[in-house]
Amino acid sequence: MTAQIELQNVDKHYGTFHALKNIDLAIDKGSFVALVGPSGCGKSTLLRSIAGLESISSGTLKIAGETMNGVPPRKRDVAMVFQSYALYPHMTVERNLSYSLRLKGMSRADAKKKAEEVAKTTGLSELLHRFPRQLSGGQRQRVAMGRAIIRNPKAFLFDEPLSNLDASLRVQMRKEIRSLHDRLGATSVYVTHDQIEAMTMADYVVVMRNGVIEQRGRPLELYDFPANKFVAGFIGSPAMNFIASSIDASGTRLIFDEYSGESIALEQRLEPNRKVIAGIRPEFLRVASEAEANFHIEVGTVESTGSATYISSQDQMVTVVQSERTELKPNDRVGLKVDSARIHLFDAKTEARIVTDAG
Amino acid sequence: MNRLPAPKLFLVLALGLAALYLFPLYWMYVTSLKGSSEIFANPPTFWPNDPDPSIYPETWARRTMATFLWNSLVIATGVTSLTVLLGTGCAYVLARYRSVWIDIGLFAILMLQVLPASVMITPLYVGFNQLGLLDYPRTAVILAAAGKAIPFYIVLVRATFMSVPRELEEAALVDGNSRWGAFFFIVLPLARNGILVLAILTFMQAFGEYIYSKSIITTQSLQPASVGLSGFLGPNSTDWNGIMAYAAIYVTPIVLVFVILQRRIVAGLTSGALK
Repeated sequence: MTAQIELQNVDKHYGTFHALKNIDLAIDKGSFVALVGPSGCGKSTLLRSIAGLESISSGTLKIAGETMNGVPPRKRDVAMVFQSYALYPHMTVERNLSYSLRLKGMSRADAKKKAEEVAKTTGLSELLHRFPRQLSGGQRQRVAMGRAIIRNPKAFLFDEPLSNLDASLRVQMRKEIRSLHDRLGATSVYVTHDQIEAMTMADYVVVMRNGVIEQRGRPLELYDFPANKFVAGFIGSPAMNFIASSIDASGTRLIFDEYSGESIALEQRLEPNRKVIAGIRPEFLRVASEAEANFHIEVGTVESTGSATYISSQDQMVTVVQSERTELKPNDRVGLKVDSARIHLFDAKTEARIVTDAG
Repeated sequence: MNRLPAPKLFLVLALGLAALYLFPLYWMYVTSLKGSSEIFANPPTFWPNDPDPSIYPETWARRTMATFLWNSLVIATGVTSLTVLLGTGCAYVLARYRSVWIDIGLFAILMLQVLPASVMITPLYVGFNQLGLLDYPRTAVILAAAGKAIPFYIVLVRATFMSVPRELEEAALVDGNSRWGAFFFIVLPLARNGILVLAILTFMQAFGEYIYSKSIITTQSLQPASVGLSGFLGPNSTDWNGIMAYAAIYVTPIVLVFVILQRRIVAGLTSGALK
């Protein structure tokens, strides 16, 4: 596989603010890459740098093998879908779709024909003569997509394209965007703050924070082997539980310091007396009998959506998700069991994953 | 119970103030149609006993109003073109970029707005004299009046540009347009209303420009209607219906334009403020 988009040692400064720090990233042709992270992490800046809307301060940016530093957006042959859709309000849907073609000098008739074709694949045929203000949110979203598709670009760049849609439409568009990507064999870079979007749509997920790539990998790799506490907390919903802990003097047991020193046997020996953070996903904790329990919590809230029940501790530090319903009430004391193979350990200081033989 | 009278009270107040403010306009039209003895009648008549519109063509011919109005038109057109041409680009830059220098520029522009024409005229006169511009007095007035009109124009057109989302331009750039293309084909059409309204306001203001014209233009055949009107007035002037007819001819086109376009003008002025 060849890299369609390549970033080498890319830095971006805004005055004294260091927005992107030494970013190295290669995006394979035909792959769907999601950039996720909290707001202000630099993911949008990275996307806009690829589009050419921001210039990079140093490093190299290549698209399809050509160096693109300083090349204006119009010569990069990438298409972008904006969060606000950015449809031209004074043009009809047809002219919105075909705008880029007419800029390239395509004749009116050809551009119109092409717009009609794209309208058909995106379900906009009936709306070609409407103006953006006469469309619903979902329809505008489709026009924005169509405007990108019509160009057959080297890469699609998506900047949080679904965040203005309501929840059910978002789920539907998620699938549509992904199937469109597969059908066109396109290369896509997708920025989102919603880790579910990233997990469900992308081949590769890149997690960013403070202008740095924290981890990259396949969605389930990130879920199963988060490189540090930040990624562990960011990927997965509800978020992973973190419990300040330590290894006992023999190096074979993990002591939950915050839960009156209750402990669990480790899969393997670790450095004795080391301070660690134990990360346990809510879905791998279960309510257990007194004999089985590894540690105990006081129940704070019990929420049920019907399909899932969320039990949170009073200190809000621990959440359990289970599919069975529960009789538990606030202030009940309950024992929780976890499979020690499912515990992620992070160094208390560096917050980096503690690599064990098990993974 | 207590809330009902308030809106009515304000309505009455508003109507009263409007009547007070518009009374001179009414008085101008009425007086122009009165006979010379009726003008000085006490108590005054609020509607002429014997309306006589013949004063209009007579004043038009006697005071060479065609020439005066033509000069007004030339000056107003010049001022408007210069303002729109220079101000639009300036307003765009001030709307799109944020830095300390932009803030300083904006502050300087607002300061220009503060200085009254009567203070500016002396240094301008001396400057124009040095440059030999006084030989082209209408051009000199256009330059001076445009300098006064541009700050107002920039500040308000800037608000219009700020209401055009930046993402639209970026979309156009990615779609294959150049920086200039995005400005001319995406931003300008969307800011068109605001620009149009402010161009009209600038035009109307320049059409009534007095101080610079009075000071700079000494040749009567080059003077605009505002200066022509003042030439009418003197310590002993008695031709009140002629003066009022002149004023009516001068003002009516402006009033008409305003009445016809008032909806758009109000919408255009607030377009930047409300989203």
